[in-house]
Amino acid sequence: MYDLIVIGAGPGGYEAAAHAARMGKNVLLIEKERVGGTCLNVGCIPAKAFLRSSKLFHECGQAARFGVRLGSVEFDMPAVVERKDRVVGTLVKGVEGLLKKSGVETISGQAKLVARNAVQVGDKRYEAANILLATGSRPAVPPIPGINSKQVLDSNTVFGLTKIPKTIAIIGGGYIGLEFACFFNEAGAKVNVYEMLPQIATGCDQEISSRLLQILKRKGIEFHLSARVLGIEGNTLRYSAEGAESSISAECILNSTGRAPVVDGLGLEEVGVDFGPRGVKTSEMGKTNVAGVWACGDVTGRRMLAHAAVREGIVAVNNMFGKKDRIRYHAIPAVIYTHPEVASVGRTEEELKTLGVEYRKSVVPMAVSGRFLVENEGESGLVKVLAGARFGEILGVHAIGDGSSEFIIAAAVMVETEMCVAEASEIVFPHPTVSEALREAILGVH
Amino acid sequence: MATAVEIPKLGNTVEECLIAKWRKQKGERVSAGEIVAEIETDKATFELTAPLDGILLDTFFEEGTLVPVFTNLFVIGEPGESVDAFRPKSATPAQTAAPKQSAAESAPAEPERGTAITSTAPSASSGAFSPRARRFAEERGFHPAAVSGSGPAGRVLEDDLRKQYYTSARPSSAAQRRIEAGEEARGDGSGAAGLILTGDLGPKATRISGIREKIARRMRESLAGTAQYTLNASANAAGLLSVRAKVKASKGGPDININDLVTFCTVKALMEVPELNAEFIDGKIQKHAEIHIGFACDTPRGLMVPVVRDAHLLPVGELSLKMKDLSARAVAGSIAVDDLSGATFTLSNLGNFGIESFTPLLNPPQVAILGVDGIQVKPVRRDGKIEFIDSIGLSLTLDHQVIDGAPGARFLRVVREKIENVESLCTI
Repeated sequence: MYDLIVIGAGPGGYEAAAHAARMGKNVLLIEKERVGGTCLNVGCIPAKAFLRSSKLFHECGQAARFGVRLGSVEFDMPAVVERKDRVVGTLVKGVEGLLKKSGVETISGQAKLVARNAVQVGDKRYEAANILLATGSRPAVPPIPGINSKQVLDSNTVFGLTKIPKTIAIIGGGYIGLEFACFFNEAGAKVNVYEMLPQIATGCDQEISSRLLQILKRKGIEFHLSARVLGIEGNTLRYSAEGAESSISAECILNSTGRAPVVDGLGLEEVGVDFGPRGVKTSEMGKTNVAGVWACGDVTGRRMLAHAAVREGIVAVNNMFGKKDRIRYHAIPAVIYTHPEVASVGRTEEELKTLGVEYRKSVVPMAVSGRFLVENEGESGLVKVLAGARFGEILGVHAIGDGSSEFIIAAAVMVETEMCVAEASEIVFPHPTVSEALREAILGVH
Repeated sequence: MATAVEIPKLGNTVEECLIAKWRKQKGERVSAGEIVAEIETDKATFELTAPLDGILLDTFFEEGTLVPVFTNLFVIGEPGESVDAFRPKSATPAQTAAPKQSAAESAPAEPERGTAITSTAPSASSGAFSPRARRFAEERGFHPAAVSGSGPAGRVLEDDLRKQYYTSARPSSAAQRRIEAGEEARGDGSGAAGLILTGDLGPKATRISGIREKIARRMRESLAGTAQYTLNASANAAGLLSVRAKVKASKGGPDININDLVTFCTVKALMEVPELNAEFIDGKIQKHAEIHIGFACDTPRGLMVPVVRDAHLLPVGELSLKMKDLSARAVAGSIAVDDLSGATFTLSNLGNFGIESFTPLLNPPQVAILGVDGIQVKPVRRDGKIEFIDSIGLSLTLDHQVIDGAPGARFLRVVREKIENVESLCTI
């Protein structure tokens, strides 16, 4: 009899398991593949490893502008994959070490709920006072004829590529599609992106997403917006846009239309856990409708971000062992690791308009930061701050430009603690850093 | 020359008044006729106006203080004039009165003792805080409702404040600003480490006025001290509408409305059934020869019940004029307290709002109250045919301690007869 069984060893699951174990609880963690989940194995980390290589390759092409002359430069995909695997391997070992050190018992296998307090793995049954579902998500498969063919890659299988294709068609202009578009474009492929909506990076502040679109187009990525993919046959993708049907041939086709929570094969129906296609329903305490069954991360379908999953898992563990806690979604930052990066936290301008909140805004170019100019030859960006009209409370911060992923946490603290412009203006930012653009934007709120 | 204004005696039974609100502050210029203060008796709110142009030189009492009648309340004059001669001599006003020491403005203010709840934030001049504690509070905008001091004589030291600051739930900057703008926290803070966020705030509860408190108490007492029940009936309103039409057609006379007519009919019915024109006090029924009609009146200050004295002596036109005059004064806040007491029977009319029936609450020790409902079209069967008539609803609440169902119903039948024959009762 365990205090807690965690199903799924992604960031939400392993952090929750370690947290509970550090509280002195008897914890069992069950993973059917490799610890680290999507994030470590086929998500955040490998994608960033790829992007670092492609960025460096791109920068080598720009080196002369920095006064550095190079000979011929090549993109060595097998070496890129090897480095990615090395980074992932190091991190997976780190997680295994963390679990071991904190005293979590980890087993491998496919888990299934058989009662509100019991899980079946193979022919073994494990019981616990609490069960935390952290099964994550998998690439969504939209109903497009031919999408299931072997030639179509998704965000898992794309990491198995051994060479950069000459041409790639990417279905979906969300953050996953955009990051891969950047990678393949920088690595030398001709990239076409097909997005059903009239904009890319939906959910982003529109001023930021249109700037991103503009920059990525300039870098040579071709976008087809309001485009519906009709079918895939072999290497040919048929689509309709602006009322006309067209088709394109590409060496590779990548499906990056989003992610779907993993809710099947878990025994949720049998135990009566409330869930739908958008995930397991949870409260802000991490509870499901069944007492003793909790959930965190992508499986809840709330915010499909590793750091949201971590917090959700810890909130659930705290609540199950008597420490009141709840997750607040209003200040969870989000980053798109395109080149340039996009980072945001809080409300977008569109959300404020929909909610009828009166606001003031300030937008400054990244070029106000000397460091940004130094680091980013020929690049541009902006920082936008949205604050309440009456009291100046910081409601949202949206940035585009490299470096923004590292300073968005400062803005997140301001939004999380409902800091007002008056107080935020008194905070000293280090010089010279890209974060000074945030400071200028805050000072610009009148 | 400086002139003092005292609290007037607002009625025979009024001994003291509550200072409800200062509309002008000390030092402000006022013109003759401008409202300076609002004062409350247990029945109503009144406004005290400036008798002449000048500067409001001093206000002797804080809001929320009970002050006896005929006590000087404020002084109007020219700058530099002394007010000492007018200052109420002793600090003996009833109950909690705390005269303000104007000469001691800069000295530590006295702790507030008035009945009104005001801000409890310690101000910079609060003597109970050590200078360092005061600075700590000011720098952080931290003004807890209560803090216990560990210094000599309960003096609040910086350490006391610091402990409270770092352990108690604190509002975020945005929440703090909204609290200062009049909101208050509901329950625990939902932010990191219990931080109070704007989502945890809501409108501040406001203290009800003295008059509202009085209404509340009377309503509770009414329900607790009687055995109320309500009878509902309706009367053919054809006569009422016909008289009303005549009134409208004839220019010059009093503008007698449906309510006036129903009141008039009720007075006539009470003359026939005097059992209901009575009060039940200490086990005794006190019937009244005179009929003093109270009528519920919706005013900006809340419900008031002006009283038409000797209504049985008044022709319908005079009754109508009297009621209009009283209700106008009740709405304006200028009605005398004596016009708000002494009723032997009460009417309450919600007909204008289209109410079809309701439960008026008794005004003890009266034993009955008649609610007047709206006029509605109602089908009736006459000679085997369905006809539609205009019908007015009547809701009579009685005290079953002394009035049983049958006599109550009989009275209601008489009221109906009077209403249906109103054309012959009054001449327009």
